[in-house]
Amino acid sequence: MVFIAAFLAPALVLYGVFILYAIANSIRFSLYNWTGLGDLGAFVGLANYEFVLWSGSLSSQFWVALGHNFYFFAITLALISVGGLAVAFALTLVRESKAQIYKTIFFIPMVIPPIVVAYLWGMYLDPNSGALSVILRSLHLTMINLPYLGLQATALPTIAVITVWSSLGLYIFIFIPAINNVPAEIIEAAKVDGAGAVRTFFSIVFPNILPTYITVTALVFVAAFGAFDLIYILEGPGAGPDFSTDTIATLFFRSAFGSTQGGASTGMSLAAAMAILGFIVVIGVSAILIALQRRAARQAGEVR
Amino acid sequence: MKSVTIVKRSTLLPHLLLGFYALVVIVPVLNMVLMSFKSYAEILRFPLGLPSRWHWENYLSAWTKGNLGQLLANTLLVGLASTALVLVCGSMAAYVIARFAFRGNQPIYLTFMAGMALPVQMLAIPMFVVMRQLSLIDNLLSLILAYSAAGLAFSVFLLVNFVRSIPRELDEAAYIDGAGPGAIFVQIILPLLRPALTTVGVFQFVAAWNGFFFPLVFIQDPEHMTVTVGVLSFVGQYGTEWDLLLPALVIVMIPTILVFVFASKQFTRNIAAGAVKM
Repeated sequence: MVFIAAFLAPALVLYGVFILYAIANSIRFSLYNWTGLGDLGAFVGLANYEFVLWSGSLSSQFWVALGHNFYFFAITLALISVGGLAVAFALTLVRESKAQIYKTIFFIPMVIPPIVVAYLWGMYLDPNSGALSVILRSLHLTMINLPYLGLQATALPTIAVITVWSSLGLYIFIFIPAINNVPAEIIEAAKVDGAGAVRTFFSIVFPNILPTYITVTALVFVAAFGAFDLIYILEGPGAGPDFSTDTIATLFFRSAFGSTQGGASTGMSLAAAMAILGFIVVIGVSAILIALQRRAARQAGEVR
Repeated sequence: MKSVTIVKRSTLLPHLLLGFYALVVIVPVLNMVLMSFKSYAEILRFPLGLPSRWHWENYLSAWTKGNLGQLLANTLLVGLASTALVLVCGSMAAYVIARFAFRGNQPIYLTFMAGMALPVQMLAIPMFVVMRQLSLIDNLLSLILAYSAAGLAFSVFLLVNFVRSIPRELDEAAYIDGAGPGAIFVQIILPLLRPALTTVGVFQFVAAWNGFFFPLVFIQDPEHMTVTVGVLSFVGQYGTEWDLLLPALVIVMIPTILVFVFASKQFTRNIAAGAVKM
C-alpha cells in the first residue's frame, strides 16, 4: 500500500495541483467578484454566470464566440472526414514501403510549431506580396485574389483550413489501423462482386470503422474548443477582423488578461465563469460522443 | 490478364491522391526555407522559387538580433525537463494503475483520462495564481510544471494501456523469484515499455517545444522567454522583418522535425494503437 501511494504520488501531486486544484479554483473564483489582485472580494453566487449568459455586452460576445467554436468544429470535421479518410484509405491500397514514405511526409506538419504554421500561411495569403496572390495574378484570377485572413466572412474558415493542414496527419494515422482491421474477407467479397474502391469504401469500410470515426470526431471537437494559437497570432488578441474569429479561448484570454487591442479586461471572475461554461460544453459533448462510440463499437463487434 | 488491370487501376488513383497531398504538405514548407535565404525586397516581390542570391547572413543576423541562442536554450530546457518529468511520473503511475487493485484505482484512471478533454489553457487563471504564489512567474519552472501537468492526461492513458498489454506472467515469474514491485517495474516493465515511452516522450517534447500559450501568460522577461513567443520580437509595430523572422522560424521548427523523423517508426505505430483502444 505504501508502495502504491509512493508510485502514484508524483503524478497525482503534479496533476492535482495544476489541473484538479485549478479546476476547483476556477469554480471558486467564478463565484466571487474578483479583479485578479488582492482578496477575492464579495461572494456573488451565480451572478457571473448570469452575466456571461444573459446580460450585458459580454453575453453577446460569449454566444458569438461559442457559435464560432461550433462553426470552426464543423469546417474542420468536414475537411478531416473527407481528406483524412480519403488519404488513409489510399495509403492502405499502396505497397507498405511506399506508404511508409508518404506517412513520414504527412506527419511533418503536426510537429511544426503553431507560430511557424501561422506565419507560413499568413505570409502566403498576404493579398499584396503573398505567394497565393502572385500565383492568382499570373493566372489572371485577380477576382479571387482576396485578403482571406482580413475579411470577416473568410477569416475563420481560412484559419480552419490552416488548422486542418497542420493537424490532418494525426487523424490519418488514427484511421489507418482501423481501416486495416476491417476483415479482408468482406473486402475481397465486395471486389468479387465487382465493387470498385470507392464503392467498397462506402459500403464496407466506413460502416466498419464508425467507432474510430466517432473517436476522431471527439478529438476534433476538443481541439476546436481549444482553438487559440493560430487565431491569436494571425488575428491578434482582438480576434479580428471585428471579432469575426473570436472563440471561447480568445474571449477568455482577453477577459482574463486584458489587452489594449481587444478592449479592456473584464475581470478574472467573469473569465473563470466563462471557462467553467466552456468545460461544461466540452465535457457534455465528449460524454455524448464517447457513449455513441461505445455503442458503435458494440454493434461493429456484433456484426463481425 | 484481368487481375493485372484491376491492380493497376487500384494503385494509380491512390498514388495520384497521395502524391498530390504530399506536395500540399511539403511545398509550402520547403518554399519557406528557400524564402528565408532571400533579401527582404525579394521576399516581398518574389515569394516563390529559388533565391537569386543566397543570403546566409540572414541567419546570422536573426541569431544575434533575436537573441535566439538564449531563447532556444530556454525552450530546450523546458522541453527536456518536462519530458523527463512526464516519463518518470507517468510510467510509475501507469504501472500501479494497470497492475494493482486498490481503492480509487478506476476513479484515478478516469480522472487522468478526463483531462484529455479539457482545453488546458482555460485553466490559465488559477494556474497563474498558483505560479504567483510559488513565485514562479518569469521562471522557466512554471512552464515545465504547466506542460508536464497538461501532458500527464494523455501520457498516463497511453502508458496504462501499454502496461496492460504486457503479459502478467512476466511479473509473476519475477515475483516468485523474490523480486519486489519496485524491481519488477525497473527490470521488467520499463524495458518492455520503451516503444510507448518513446511515443509519450516525443509527444511531450513537441508539445512543450511548440507551446505558445503558457509562455505568453507566465513569462514577460525576454531573458526567460521561450522561442515560440520570443520570435514575435521580429514582428514590429510598423511591419514584419521577414528576412529575420523567416530564418528564426526555420530554426524553431528544425528540432521537432528532427525528433519526429528519428522516432517516426515507433511513434506512428503507437499513437494509432493507443487511439484504437480508446
